[in-house]
Amino acid sequence: MHEKRSLPLEVLRYGLIVLVIGFFVFPIFWMVLTSLKPDDAIMVSPPRFLFTPTLENYRHAIEDKNFLFYIRNTLIISVISTVFVVILGSLAAYSFARYNVGDGHLLFFILSTKMMPAIAVILPFFLIFREVGKTGFGQFMHLGLDQHGALILSYVVFNLPFAIWLLVSFFQDIPRELEHSARLDGLSRLKVLRKVTLPLAAPGIAVTAVFTLIFCWNEFLFAYILTRKTASTVTVGVESFFTLQGILWGPVAAAATIAVAPMLVFVLAMQRYMVRGLTFGAVRG
Amino acid sequence: MANVLGVSHASDMVVRSKAGMSDRTFSILLVAPALAVILVFAILPLVYALDVSFRFADLTRGGIREYVGLDNYRRVFSDSNFWTAGWITLKFTVVAVTLQMTLGVGIAFLLHGMTVGKGLVRSLIILPLATSAAVTGLFWRYLYDTQFGVLNWILGSFGLPEPNWLGDYTIALWSVVIFDVWQWTPFVALIALAGLQALPREPFEAAELDGASSWRVLRTLTFPLLKPVLFLVLVLRTIDCVRLYDAVAVLTRGGPGTSTETMTFYLYRTGLKLFRMDYASTMAIFFLYVMLVAAIFALTPLLKQFTDRAKEA
Repeated sequence: MHEKRSLPLEVLRYGLIVLVIGFFVFPIFWMVLTSLKPDDAIMVSPPRFLFTPTLENYRHAIEDKNFLFYIRNTLIISVISTVFVVILGSLAAYSFARYNVGDGHLLFFILSTKMMPAIAVILPFFLIFREVGKTGFGQFMHLGLDQHGALILSYVVFNLPFAIWLLVSFFQDIPRELEHSARLDGLSRLKVLRKVTLPLAAPGIAVTAVFTLIFCWNEFLFAYILTRKTASTVTVGVESFFTLQGILWGPVAAAATIAVAPMLVFVLAMQRYMVRGLTFGAVRG
Repeated sequence: MANVLGVSHASDMVVRSKAGMSDRTFSILLVAPALAVILVFAILPLVYALDVSFRFADLTRGGIREYVGLDNYRRVFSDSNFWTAGWITLKFTVVAVTLQMTLGVGIAFLLHGMTVGKGLVRSLIILPLATSAAVTGLFWRYLYDTQFGVLNWILGSFGLPEPNWLGDYTIALWSVVIFDVWQWTPFVALIALAGLQALPREPFEAAELDGASSWRVLRTLTFPLLKPVLFLVLVLRTIDCVRLYDAVAVLTRGGPGTSTETMTFYLYRTGLKLFRMDYASTMAIFFLYVMLVAAIFALTPLLKQFTDRAKEA
């Protein structure tokens, strides 16, 4: 598209863009700034922009509140969930993309479970995990309330439909001819999948893994209902900064910064690929 | 962990029978583990909820007890809180989705015309997406604070009114909307931008040669070509807004009063604060039914894209 570019319009465009950036970035900027403020610069009016930065809030969050414990839980739970989602999702998505298994109906069913509000099944999940946790098997697999296994299983179930949806579009992009010729060379279906298709689908699988990891990392409802202390994740951990004396905004900001920083870095590194993934193949290019 | 067993079991069978297996068997074996997980852990709880919805189940009074027929369902129809929560959810969804779609598409057009720095701007506006609503939402309470909040300070220095963002029951819902708009508009913008960048060139060049006005090009070429992408975003955003929970939980806890109590939050309060599992399950079933009917309308066109592509390949 060749547009006529007039100076006033361009000035307007960049002016608006600065406003847009301000709106989306400022809250995060303010959070990081607050995390570095000494106590006497936080609960003040008007808000202070100049102050002597301190790491006291981080010390409070990490040493007094043991916040890294939540980071550890979150890391364990999200990584294991992501591995399961990617393995199960890739196999299923390949089957949908290549063999159209279930003739669309099965895929529709799986997608429709994405419409399910988590809150609708959280009560049964709560009651079921409470019972399973009392059995020997449940204890062995850490499936009881406030245990890692229960949260991992919940995340796998709730992220699979979305992952399959994403992956189907990636598998559809891989030309069939390659698989055909590998089959003619005498490779079994499974070998074709392992040696030809999966390596080609690796970027798509990586994108799916990134999304799943972000969703698991940021999940709140299941973590809030199914854990109390030992398996609590960062989203729940931040709430522990609500004390009887009020909310300690400095430490909250520090904890929140620690909690979101890994995903921020991750997204920045992967953004180019994420946009392609987000459009589910509806956009090529 | 049935899923682990499912995987190894499936692959064993594939290896053993590779000689004579049909495509059909192979494809079913691949899909089976994921399907098993979804069936067992998404459908079973649902069946459980359905069962509880026909019983008396007050966890403070003896747990799950006898069947009471349709009593809980009758209660849904006469419960004004339920309908209020539904109305609040509807208001939230319509306003939030409309704002996100218009702002998102607008921002996409702004960025699309940029000659320098597009990548940088994209990196910056993607940031809210990566954060957790439960974590940044909490911090937004500080931004919204009437006394120490930076937002009111900015408004005040322009001589504008300084609202009680989360404490005024006429405003609180819109404060939650603003937060959701902050977090999700970038999502719409990025997808719309990707759509714009992938548009074919030829029809636009032809239109330019014909001397079509920019408005006409926009209306007859750009938007129709973008429609599939925009529809997808619209569906995804609507689903998420209807299910909104995190932002309400950390920003307002449904208050002040019940002015920001959405469907999911009312469900949560009934089931896990008042421990009326029976009534909460009934509402969940009801809610799910409405969602499913909506899903059939929303997903059918999207699904058609998928199956068409599966066939053409």
